[in-house]
Amino acid sequence: MRRRSGSRALRHARWQSVLAVAAIASAVALPVVLVSVGGGVASHELASLEQTGYQLVLSAEGLHGIEDAHPDEARLLQLPNVVDAAPILSIPIDVFNASGNASPVLAEGVVPREFSPTLGPTEASLFPDPLPLGDPNDTVRYADGSYAGPTTYDVLLSSTYAAKFHVAVGSEVVLSPTISLSQGVTYRVTGLFGTPLSIAQPSGAFAAVLLLSNLQVLTDYGNASHAVVPDGADTIEIVVAPAAAENPASLAQVAREVQAAFPSYTVTSLSSEASELRSAASVLTGFYLALSSVGLAVGLLFLSLVLVRRVERERRSIGIRRAIGVPPWSVAGAIVEDGAVLAAGGGVLGVVSGYVVVRALATWASSTVREAAQLAIFGPLFLAELVAAVVGLSMVASLAAVRAAWRVDVLEALR
Amino acid sequence: MTGAVAPRVELAHVSRTYAAGTAEAVRALREVDLVLPAGEFVSVEGPSGCGKTTLLNLVGLLDSPSDGELRWDGTPVGLRSDRERSRLRLETVGFIFQRFYLLPTLTAVENVELPMRALGMPRAERRARAAELLAEVGLSERARAYPHQLSGGEEQRVAIARAVANGPGLLLADEPTGELDSASARTVLDLLVRVRAARSATLVLVTHNPEVASRASRHLTLRDGRVVSDRSGA
Repeated sequence: MRRRSGSRALRHARWQSVLAVAAIASAVALPVVLVSVGGGVASHELASLEQTGYQLVLSAEGLHGIEDAHPDEARLLQLPNVVDAAPILSIPIDVFNASGNASPVLAEGVVPREFSPTLGPTEASLFPDPLPLGDPNDTVRYADGSYAGPTTYDVLLSSTYAAKFHVAVGSEVVLSPTISLSQGVTYRVTGLFGTPLSIAQPSGAFAAVLLLSNLQVLTDYGNASHAVVPDGADTIEIVVAPAAAENPASLAQVAREVQAAFPSYTVTSLSSEASELRSAASVLTGFYLALSSVGLAVGLLFLSLVLVRRVERERRSIGIRRAIGVPPWSVAGAIVEDGAVLAAGGGVLGVVSGYVVVRALATWASSTVREAAQLAIFGPLFLAELVAAVVGLSMVASLAAVRAAWRVDVLEALR
Repeated sequence: MTGAVAPRVELAHVSRTYAAGTAEAVRALREVDLVLPAGEFVSVEGPSGCGKTTLLNLVGLLDSPSDGELRWDGTPVGLRSDRERSRLRLETVGFIFQRFYLLPTLTAVENVELPMRALGMPRAERRARAAELLAEVGLSERARAYPHQLSGGEEQRVAIARAVANGPGLLLADEPTGELDSASARTVLDLLVRVRAARSATLVLVTHNPEVASRASRHLTLRDGRVVSDRSGA
């Protein structure tokens, strides 16, 4: 009852075999989809974190919680080993194109000279260098908090927005803090930028970048309760000198000094964020596998039942083999082998199905799922281990059938 | 293939009781004393339920005696482990059943290969030997046929080829012509006699048919689990 006769027996029990393979395949496809997509997203986010040009983030509770972004930037630059400090204000606004169509856009107010060094290699390639926003230091309009200085109303738009609304560099758009065109200010488009794929953050497909002071004034427009425009920001990204950035102890020291200078704000290290993300990714992978193990258990249980049923149906064949002198372990081995063949078939089919599902999601699913699927990573080692594990577990699943075959009474089977 | 030398089979006060110790206990064989010298052709006759098949199963180590001792060449073998008895059957015994018992999922040649495969013979060697054996039983042309594609006589001839595949010294046939028409039965019987003679094997043949039994050199008659007649002569 070696390989060839085993596979022949499988063909004779075609429907049961097909069902067992299908059950295992569906059980394997689930972890392939979950782990490949989940792992891909985690790897992408990790890579984004590791590739950023900054190492520390200063943030405060609440939206736009940093209240003195420009002076804080200046104070940070006074600290040892801090080479850049880029305040960023993120606010959704509406952009009206030349046709008067309004679109919600995520606007980011930045200080160009400080913002550029915070971009990682991938992001930097998406932006014009230097940022064509007129005032590299954003000190002209801000003018020590008076916001009375002159400004250029320049804005960079994401290429996806520009493509969608046929906006070209040099054309004008109206930026408004509300859906009302009358509250808007006309800006000139001085450049376009690409948007990196991101799952963890809000979609940057429709985005605008402008001077921090311009966005601060724009979004405070018409707010009569403010006598002075608040110098707000969400975060300040801090670039540490390379020597200190590469040394964890030195980086921690810089973080402590920043924290001491800004005790009411929170200092976060990207390396600790990356570490937390790795831990979270590991937990998620474990969760995915645990979830998948339920399906796999069902598949293997089905396989076990199929094998036991086959033993019951083939009692006479087993009896004949035993009467001829085929040793019991050989009969048992053939059953284990049949189970392994079915499991391997199901495993390979599951891997292929999982791959096809992910590719289908990457092509046809809605935006967030599609973007996540596009990041999927199919690790050959993981897939091989998965199939090997299924084949290994099939041996456990075949134990009941082996026991049943071992207990076949030869004389009774031949009666 | 040289094959195994036929063992001298001895049964000393052998009994076989099924469901022993229960109200349904059946004494299929009762204190049988019997010697089967190597190379003998023995027919076993008797009414249904007299213990013929039980005797055959004990001699071929498919079953174990409840009492008494079964010896091959003086060595007790009746109570050996399942694994040891499997090995002895594989190397020394060839079974031929009334209902042929070919494996339905294997072709004729694969059925013949089965004992050789279990013995670990290399594929090319066993395939060649299976082809020789099928030629010997006149079924070369049917090597690729599945059992359901064969006639009863052809199936039994394949079964005989399978039984002698490992060159057994002991051939045990349980009503081998019981399900065949008279022409096929004659062919099968002639074949059995021929392969036995060619291998100097012991042949124990259970039959109801006096014509079949008449081909044997020794005739045992069983009744109620006992040997009531043991005579020689063809």
